[in-house]
Amino acid sequence: MTTLTQTTDDTAPDGGAGAAPRSTGSRATRVLGTVILVTAPIAAYLGLVTSDPDVVQGDAVRLFYVHVPVVSLMYLPVILCTVASIMWLRKRTDGWDALASSSAEVATIFVGLGLVTGALWGEITWGTYWTWDARLTSTALLFLLLLGYLALRRYPAEPAARSKVSAVVGILLVPNAILVHYSVSWWRSLHQDATRGLDTKMEGNQLTTYAVAQGVFVLILVWLSIHAFRVAWLSLQAERGDLDVAIAERMADDDATGGM
Amino acid sequence: MDLNDPFENEDDVDGLDLSPRTAPPVRGGDDQRRKRLLIGGVLGVILVVVGVVAWQGLSNAALYFRTADEAVAQRDDLGDRRFRIEGTVVPGSVEPDGVAVRFRIESNDVQVAVFHQGDPPDLFQEDIPVVLEGRWHQTDDVFESDGILVRHTEEYEADNPDRTDEYVGDDDGGTSSE
Repeated sequence: MTTLTQTTDDTAPDGGAGAAPRSTGSRATRVLGTVILVTAPIAAYLGLVTSDPDVVQGDAVRLFYVHVPVVSLMYLPVILCTVASIMWLRKRTDGWDALASSSAEVATIFVGLGLVTGALWGEITWGTYWTWDARLTSTALLFLLLLGYLALRRYPAEPAARSKVSAVVGILLVPNAILVHYSVSWWRSLHQDATRGLDTKMEGNQLTTYAVAQGVFVLILVWLSIHAFRVAWLSLQAERGDLDVAIAERMADDDATGGM
Repeated sequence: MDLNDPFENEDDVDGLDLSPRTAPPVRGGDDQRRKRLLIGGVLGVILVVVGVVAWQGLSNAALYFRTADEAVAQRDDLGDRRFRIEGTVVPGSVEPDGVAVRFRIESNDVQVAVFHQGDPPDLFQEDIPVVLEGRWHQTDDVFESDGILVRHTEEYEADNPDRTDEYVGDDDGGTSSE
């Protein structure tokens, strides 16, 4: 979990915890990124041009190809963050810390996108951007919890204490996500019941377009997650390096003034 | 006591050296204090918003709407309180009335007459489930609506006249065909 794939020349001299890579890219992520650059326009073309409008919703159905993939995938980074938070509390290693932190960032993007695309779709189909129904309210809570988590992550405190508080908040994410998922069956909701559940009826080129779009968003999720993890890992190492330097300076100061 | 505070330095006390000097950047200095305040403030705001959202959610989302038959049964309790009512628009019941529109909704074989003021959303049509916001008329058995929300179903069908042969219309094509 804590190993980074890095090319051998990507090293920078630093006094701290070993050699750090200069970039968060690797051959694998560059290939992945290229595949996304090629397939995303195809998905956009299918969604915007070749797929048919819907009998009831007309062209508004095209939002399906963004909204549904995004919200169905948002659960993965949320679950990852909670699992990594629990694992950090048990193992206290930087790898789990970086995984929890980076997953929360990716989750925030996906939940935020889900809220925005949902609001746009809601305005067209329901006739309102927002309403306080169970699914929308619980999703808004999840988004706020993630924002709180990200703010905690940036709070200048002792790293171990900060990671601990963050982990506790990170554990709350999955219960909140369960609330989001089952809100439509536990309570009455304006939102439709099943998202790509067995009841969903879709066929022909609508289904094909959805399948392609879902695939592209899976790739985007993976690409973002890998880069976010590497950034989180590097910033943990950098912070550790800073701390070593600060301690060294402090000790040098003490030596110069004769200590206390 | 901060070791790096220049005014706590013993050498200075002896010599009273008041010449200005630049202190080295210190961990826990002004920048960090300001950042701590800022993020603390942001966290506080988020906490308040979470509270408001949770309160809204608890008081509102649990009973997002009453079905038409429930609203009829609870007519006396509801009085002139605002609530949301849900039902399927009865086919053939929609009549424009100036800037308003009259129609009936049905749920569990109970029908409710609706007087809606304002423009219905684009997707508003017969035989589609809707949630209306408003209250009972004081005397008549009419629901006075000022907001229509269209519930879309999880059924999608390509609007393509060339492919009508693929249409499967036997099982619950509508929403309330029982």
